[in-house]
Amino acid sequence: MILAFEDVVKSYGEVRALDGLSFAVGRDEKVALLGPNGAGKTTALEIALGLRGCDFGSVRLFGASPRSIAVRRRLGVTPQESGFPDMLTVAEIAEFVAQHYPTPAPLAHTLSTFGLESMKRRRAGTLSGGESRRLALALAFIGNPEFVVLDEPTTGLDVQSRRRLWDVVREASGNRSILFTTHYLEEAQELASRILVVDRGRLLFDGDAQTLRGRVGGRRVTYVGQDGPVVAMPSDTDAYVRALVNSGAPFSNLEISRPSLEEAFLLLTRGAA
Amino acid sequence: MNALLLVRAHTKIQFLDLIRWPGYVVPTVVFPAMFYSIFDLPAARIHANDADLLALAFIAWAVVGVTLYQFGVGIAQERGRPWERYVRTLPAPVFVRFGARIATALLFGVIAAALVALVARAFTPIDLTLEQWLRVLVYAIAGGVPFVLIGITIGYWASARASVPMATAVNLLLAYAGGLWMPPQYLPSFVAAISPYLPTRQFGDLLWSVVGHGSASHAVMGLASYTLIFGFLAAVGYRRDERKRYA
Repeated sequence: MILAFEDVVKSYGEVRALDGLSFAVGRDEKVALLGPNGAGKTTALEIALGLRGCDFGSVRLFGASPRSIAVRRRLGVTPQESGFPDMLTVAEIAEFVAQHYPTPAPLAHTLSTFGLESMKRRRAGTLSGGESRRLALALAFIGNPEFVVLDEPTTGLDVQSRRRLWDVVREASGNRSILFTTHYLEEAQELASRILVVDRGRLLFDGDAQTLRGRVGGRRVTYVGQDGPVVAMPSDTDAYVRALVNSGAPFSNLEISRPSLEEAFLLLTRGAA
Repeated sequence: MNALLLVRAHTKIQFLDLIRWPGYVVPTVVFPAMFYSIFDLPAARIHANDADLLALAFIAWAVVGVTLYQFGVGIAQERGRPWERYVRTLPAPVFVRFGARIATALLFGVIAAALVALVARAFTPIDLTLEQWLRVLVYAIAGGVPFVLIGITIGYWASARASVPMATAVNLLLAYAGGLWMPPQYLPSFVAAISPYLPTRQFGDLLWSVVGHGSASHAVMGLASYTLIFGFLAAVGYRRDERKRYA
């Protein structure tokens, strides 16, 4: 087991950020930690990285405390906000991080994977948002770690750069275990083999995207009726449509569709109260 | 030994990040030599006998100013930065980050002190043997340690906003009352009375002992006491901040 959370509870004063969270990340798994803002994703990550302790429960990283230096040598992390020291160059920062690991990846290789080769002499203060995000991601991989933790890897980027970055992360990931937080469902679907949905500090769902979508069960029925557009999620779609037709009421634009991942997610997190 | 390589890596990063900021380098590294040139150079050229003492006092002050500033202000301002938070996730023991901070501060302190020494060598009749200069170097580094700890204490106990004025005030008051700007015998009597108990005065005495002035043993005792006191306060401040920020 790479990372294991067992009944983890963490409160900040009156606020309970994690409320008995349990999950595990196994070897070679790519796991997305998905949830709305304030769901407890960041707290969970900070505890996994040894930045914070928990009030109750247990967290093991490679079977040891996340604060142990030895296990952290097997872990690569992205800085969440890309606040690099302005005056250091890309190569200096990358080399600095690589020096902490026993068998780092070749610097030039990692830099070129993340498209940073041409800007390795640039100072961090002159990088654009997208460039410094690429550097942040490169740093997680530069130590050639077994387990990589990415905190919101593409937040704040436009759709195109996000897609390009997904390809890069997929390439760099190889057969490493990955855990990343995101609030983009598409990102979870693209990069993860397993999705964990967290809200209010609890695990609401653990499975793949297919299953998450299936969770919602029925189909979505939309049409324009007498009083305007109607959206329904009937438990029995066939019976619902039959009843609609038999009622004789006028309607138009009848459409039956599978709910999107987005809707499945919203249903899951909204119903959790 | 791996840990020592890491201290070097962290020191390099901190040093490069600072040395490329003119706004940091000029005030911290150049000011002591500049102040020395303005205030003491004229006196040192007239009173040739005092040239050694005046230069050594400013060498002490160069180290004091840099360590107080680098630590007091540096730590206070960096405590909450995303980069600091990230560096904590790297596999390195706590002492690596601290060791690098101390090394960086002493490095800048030695550079600032070296500039004072160069000005003194060029324009005053200062006359120290190579062996004496080496002792100055060793004493300047060792005597800088309590000031490093005073700086860390300020950094952890003062807010980011309060740290700059506080480090400046402590630096200027200690420099004046410790007799680093004007010889102790010219201080007003009430200041002269407390002067021997101040770490700046003890630092001055330590350096003056190289040319046969001041009592080195008394100075070493005093500086060691300050090292213990502020080592304790700095450690408590560090733990308090850790609990607040990373509990």
